Amino acid sequence: MSAPGITEPTEVITRARAGDAEAWGQLYHDYAPAIFRFCRRALPTREDAEDATMEVFMKLKGKLNQYDSTRSFSAWLYKVAANHCWDMLRRRKIRQDKETGDLENLPLEHPDPSQLEKLIEERSSEEVRRALDKLGARARMALVMRYYSDMSYDEIADALGVRRAFVGVVLLRARHELRQALEGNAALAAGGAS
Amino acid sequence: MSEVPKDNGKHLDEMTLLLYVERQLDRARGMEVSAHTQECDTCRTLLRALERESRLLTRAMLEEDEPLPSRLAQFQERARKSMQWIWGLVFGLAATGAYALYTSYIQPWQQQLEQAGFGGSNLLGLLIFQGAMWKGWQSVITLLEVLAMLTLAGLGALFFRRRIRRGSALALVFAGFCTVLTVAPAASATEYRGGQSPTVNKDESIKGDIYMSGERVRIEGTVEGDVFAAGKDIEIDGHVTGDVICAGRLLQVRGTVDGNVRGAGNNGVISGTVTRNVMWFGDAVTVESTGKVGGSVTMFGDTMAIDGHLGRDILFFGTEVNVSGVVEGGIREKGHAMTIGANGQVGGPIHFEGDKPAEVSSSAKLASPVEFKQIERRKEYRDGSYYIWQVIWAAAYILFGLVLFALMPNFAEEAVKSTERYGASAGLGILVGCGLPIAALIACVTVVGLFIGISTFFLWYASLYFGQIVVAALIGQWLMGRTQEIWPLIGRMAVGFVLLRLCTMIPHVGWVFKYGAAFWGIGAISLVVYRRLQPVIAPGMPSGPYTPPSATVGGAVPA
Repeated sequence: MSAPGITEPTEVITRARAGDAEAWGQLYHDYAPAIFRFCRRALPTREDAEDATMEVFMKLKGKLNQYDSTRSFSAWLYKVAANHCWDMLRRRKIRQDKETGDLENLPLEHPDPSQLEKLIEERSSEEVRRALDKLGARARMALVMRYYSDMSYDEIADALGVRRAFVGVVLLRARHELRQALEGNAALAAGGAS
Repeated sequence: MSEVPKDNGKHLDEMTLLLYVERQLDRARGMEVSAHTQECDTCRTLLRALERESRLLTRAMLEEDEPLPSRLAQFQERARKSMQWIWGLVFGLAATGAYALYTSYIQPWQQQLEQAGFGGSNLLGLLIFQGAMWKGWQSVITLLEVLAMLTLAGLGALFFRRRIRRGSALALVFAGFCTVLTVAPAASATEYRGGQSPTVNKDESIKGDIYMSGERVRIEGTVEGDVFAAGKDIEIDGHVTGDVICAGRLLQVRGTVDGNVRGAGNNGVISGTVTRNVMWFGDAVTVESTGKVGGSVTMFGDTMAIDGHLGRDILFFGTEVNVSGVVEGGIREKGHAMTIGANGQVGGPIHFEGDKPAEVSSSAKLASPVEFKQIERRKEYRDGSYYIWQVIWAAAYILFGLVLFALMPNFAEEAVKSTERYGASAGLGILVGCGLPIAALIACVTVVGLFIGISTFFLWYASLYFGQIVVAALIGQWLMGRTQEIWPLIGRMAVGFVLLRLCTMIPHVGWVFKYGAAFWGIGAISLVVYRRLQPVIAPGMPSGPYTPPSATVGGAVPA
């Protein structure tokens, strides 16, 4: 997991830790587009994503000393970004959107495999992105952490503050929400397996 | 997570298949699922669909559909460079701006006040940080005031938090807060008297300051300190060794005040002695024939009549000045009329800027003739410099807008959007635009304190300008189309502002555009502020153990 085309910037990080402004500029240049896209996918508006990207990099200055250089920098950076975005959403009530108890307690219907295949085949990336915008904050956050930044279940559990065993459920529910959004119709999304 | 059914006649549940796709099952279960899907078409199809769904999600998310916004690109440029010189530049510009503000606005006032006898102090210092007003401010520090200041500090932290790192923001705000507290020493003991008719009796002597409020406030005895009074009628027949700070309908000084008299209200009548200066905001000030003021009289209001003796100057902004007594210093008036009666004596220069020449009795004794300057209303429309100034002002506004938009892009953009909620923003604009200065005034004269009051007033004054800028951006968007980028928005604001400025230059109705836009913009700003101050509802995270969805697990669907 790393920003596309970027190798681990060990030397740059060392210089940045020492307060080298050029090194900071380099880190920003290399990672800001990926972090912006992460935030753009996770947060409801473009402005929020811009704010969050800047804040993540400002936060990074204070946190860089905590980075363990034996691990992937981009993975660590995504974790910082995920925590920040989730904090932002938590501070607002956005996180409650579509996440009322009613929705949480709804049983998930077993999908019809062939209908699900057809649905996935017919949808474009653009449509998926539009559908993502309609999801509740936690569902979207979980999908972005898993399928954009390839975070592990442990990391997702840590960021969302849920037990690890619950992460699969969150992801599955998120996929169901996404299918509903793609269909624009709850009945069609599940496919009606019965 | 649900069990993998042993019976191949039943299908695997979706959760199990997802965990298999995600490689989250242990080896044994993974093998079971693998074996099952090799035999079961339905489960294999679902497994394949889930895998394709994962790929579709990843592809959709990784696609670069939006370029890095210009704001972030600029941030990138900033991050590349050392921030030291940028901060130096920012502080340098801020200092230059503060100096320009001082020389343009504060210094001329200071000079005028010095001419009027308030030598050695500038306006802000005079009002806030010196003399009795300052002492009074110190001594009214209450829990309420501390809370109000903490609120301000919190707002400051809220503002700075988005711009700089949290630690630095808190340090900045609390350093400022501590400075304020350090500058203001601990409160001293004071006396308070209230009721219908609070009185300092004739044979009574108060050592220290006194606060009095009631319908009729009377001082017949001696106060060896300052008097702070609020009431309908305030009568001083005794002796006050300090200053008198008051607000009320009528102030009558028949006794002696060794310090200054500063007040606001309808009438101030001085028939006794005020050793130092008088400053009055209100309808009228009269120094009666028996009255004596050792220093100057400064007034912002309607009329001033000097029948008694004035040791120094008059500084007047209002309607009319009548002098039938002695003014040992000069007079500077900007108003409608000036009359100097037969017994009038003026020892210094007289500058009068008004609508008609001063009426001076031939028997009056003047050190020099009245220097009169006619106020030529609306002459500006024919004057070339008027248009040059309009351009300069427009440029200044646009610069102000540019700084604000660049400093608070999200806020500015939200404010511009809010202007389109015409009814809400206009209504709220009128409410806040009119209410805020009243609140500021109340804060000034009540226990909330001068600091909060003046800060609120400045906030209101600044929002009058910001309001016009916000509306200008909306006008620009009407003309040039919508945008979410900050620099194009600033461009639209500039175009819109030029148009708005042209409207405000229309004779007779220009002010309608000006204040209409200002209040409309204030409403939009208030809407954004209101939205941002909405309380955050605590999120409801699931904390209980997960119960698998009943309809998901191994439904008896035929293979």
